[in-house]
Amino acid sequence: MTTPAVKKAPAEAKSSVIQPLLYKSVVTVYRVFAIVTLYVVLGGVLAYGFVMGFYALNTSWAAPVILSPVDDKSLDFTEKLVTSKQTLEELSVDKKRLEGSIDEMNRHRAALLALEPELHAAIIREKKHNQATGPQLLELDKQKQADNLKTQRVMAQVKEVETAIDKDLAAGLITKGDAATQRAALNQAESSYTDSKISEILLTDNVLEKTTVDTKSLNVLDKQAELISEIAQLDIAIGVAQKQVHEETQQIDRLKQALTTAKLSPYYLSVAGDSAVYFAFVPYDNQGHVSTGTTVYDCFLNMVACKKVGTVKQIFAGEEHATHPIFKTDIRGFLIQMQLDHPESAKSKTVFLNRKPLFF
Amino acid sequence: MAPVLVWLILLLCLLISIVKYTLALILKWSVPGAVVKKDYTYQPTVSVLMPCFNEGKTVYETIESISKSNYPNERFEVIAQDDCSVDDSYEWMLKARRDFTNIQVRVGRNTVNSGKARSVCNALQHSTAELVISIDSDCIFHPDAIRELAACFSEPKMGSVGGRVGVRNPNESTITAIQTFIYYAAFQIYKVPENWTRSVGCISGCLFAIRRELLLEIEPKIRSRHWFGIPVNQGEDRFLTHQTLLRGYGTYVNNDALCWTTVPATLPDLFKQQLRWRRSIVRDLFYTLRTLPQHVWTLHPNTVLTLVLTPLGALLGLLVVLTMLSGNPLEWAGPAPLMVYLSVAAVLSWVIRKYSAREAINNPLAFGAYLAWSLVSSLFITTLALCTMDSKDWGTRTKEQEATDDDASRQESAC
Repeated sequence: MTTPAVKKAPAEAKSSVIQPLLYKSVVTVYRVFAIVTLYVVLGGVLAYGFVMGFYALNTSWAAPVILSPVDDKSLDFTEKLVTSKQTLEELSVDKKRLEGSIDEMNRHRAALLALEPELHAAIIREKKHNQATGPQLLELDKQKQADNLKTQRVMAQVKEVETAIDKDLAAGLITKGDAATQRAALNQAESSYTDSKISEILLTDNVLEKTTVDTKSLNVLDKQAELISEIAQLDIAIGVAQKQVHEETQQIDRLKQALTTAKLSPYYLSVAGDSAVYFAFVPYDNQGHVSTGTTVYDCFLNMVACKKVGTVKQIFAGEEHATHPIFKTDIRGFLIQMQLDHPESAKSKTVFLNRKPLFF
Repeated sequence: MAPVLVWLILLLCLLISIVKYTLALILKWSVPGAVVKKDYTYQPTVSVLMPCFNEGKTVYETIESISKSNYPNERFEVIAQDDCSVDDSYEWMLKARRDFTNIQVRVGRNTVNSGKARSVCNALQHSTAELVISIDSDCIFHPDAIRELAACFSEPKMGSVGGRVGVRNPNESTITAIQTFIYYAAFQIYKVPENWTRSVGCISGCLFAIRRELLLEIEPKIRSRHWFGIPVNQGEDRFLTHQTLLRGYGTYVNNDALCWTTVPATLPDLFKQQLRWRRSIVRDLFYTLRTLPQHVWTLHPNTVLTLVLTPLGALLGLLVVLTMLSGNPLEWAGPAPLMVYLSVAAVLSWVIRKYSAREAINNPLAFGAYLAWSLVSSLFITTLALCTMDSKDWGTRTKEQEATDDDASRQESAC
């Protein structure tokens, strides 16, 4: 059983003469377009594969990085820098203030220390004087008491004398003037006696002061203790202040060290640099090709027709993280500063260090 | 604007896929309406059309498997149509006719190499049955396949019914293992929501049952298919399914109607097969877009979405892969996607081993290679398909066979 060839469908048979030509033209155009497209795709795939392979094997590439003063890292760095400088200034001022205080306290302490021996000498001197004059006064006090006792006995006769004066006046033996004069003499004698008693009591007090420890002496001792305490307190305050100064000095040193290190950061150069500075990220895998003065090449299509565009000026120590320019994976590495003769190379996706990657 | 649109469409495709798969599982397990009510007493006469080109002894095995069908022998026949094979396929057909006398086997031969679609049409000329089942000549059929397919046609509006295609050589290579996963998931999950609305977008040509009257109605369109004057020989199964739907009939895949096909075992063969399929998908998309209003008014929304978004997703997958490769080329190679794929593989592998032991995969890890294959598929196959729409090459044939085929296609020479 053989099936005959199928006749063409009526629609096809009736198709106009123009339609086949039209179809042929469309198919021709399509085929040209398709061939071109496929070659482009093929070229693209090969190029893509080559680029992938190239960047998987190449170890001399670096990715230029343009650090803007307003990007997050730079802003963060600037903020920390300003804060550190401010802290450093505050610490310096505080340190100076503390040092001034210490000087003042030292002077005060020296003055107090100078006062202390004088006070001590005065106390000794007074003690010696008291020891010398105390017994003498005691003797005099005793004599005075004896004198007053005698005077008291004499004064007991004054009443009788007054009575005699009154009698003599009444008798007209004496005039009123004489009587008044005699009475004034008697009053003066009584007053002298009273003064003498007062003197005796004062003398007794004086003797007591010089022969026993009295409140005045205690006051002097209290003053002496206060002086010693004040000196001790000053010692403590000076010690604390000196320790604080020491710590602040250390902190200032550390901050200065940190600032010195920070000034070596690319972000500092980016923020503080007067002229344009160019950086590039170098993955650790490509570390072997980097040293100061190494030639930097920029290439067409990131791999061919390379030209020398500058040199490596500086290598920064800090670790940086970046995204691989081709594989888009996270990679670790460091930054370098480039001295570029062609600033536009800073905008290239990659540059090459030390040598041209494909030798042309 | 354009990238946003692309991403929106992709997102839509992804969402629809997720919804479809989730819905499929829900439908499969809990909605009886998702499965057609089969009437096994309905036993129409059946013609099994078997176009063949250079299959050798396989055609004999295929006819042998059909001859063992649990279907009344007097109610079905096999019409084998040789498409000018250059090997001994025709002789094997004749031998099968001699050996399997329990059924009627008719053997025909095209006068010129015409391709599968036209060979089916040629075979159709000899059929008088109510139902036609088009099969691939390299498949082995389950004895119940015809019975299962016929039982579904008890629904009056059922136009076409397909069977589930399993893989004969799941463990031949990593490539076949991947395809086993894909085939299984496609039939057991992806087509279930389409089954629910009786609107399967593409019934496999390996086992395709259709009402003869309907096929006769569509036949002129099959014969006249062309791409700017170049005859189209590929993707007749998708075309037939599409035409069935457009005529208001239902389409359905009966997973109890089983057949097993030998899938490509090497990357070049798989590439060629997928390229042929992708061309069909693209061609079908263009057809759908060209007649979109008709689709929207005629078809179930689920069908329109399937017909538009599935191929659109395949096309846009190219853009996704390009974006991915230019943006983050190693994204697909991370441990997370690999773990996801391997987890899916482990689950699928277990399911296949449990429910289809014949297709059990020895090395489930092979599914991990699907990741790489999907990249190749999205990047190259779509591009190549778009640029080779004028190709008549079937693809999965030997050099000698291709040369003969090319010659035949070019000159329509006699066998």
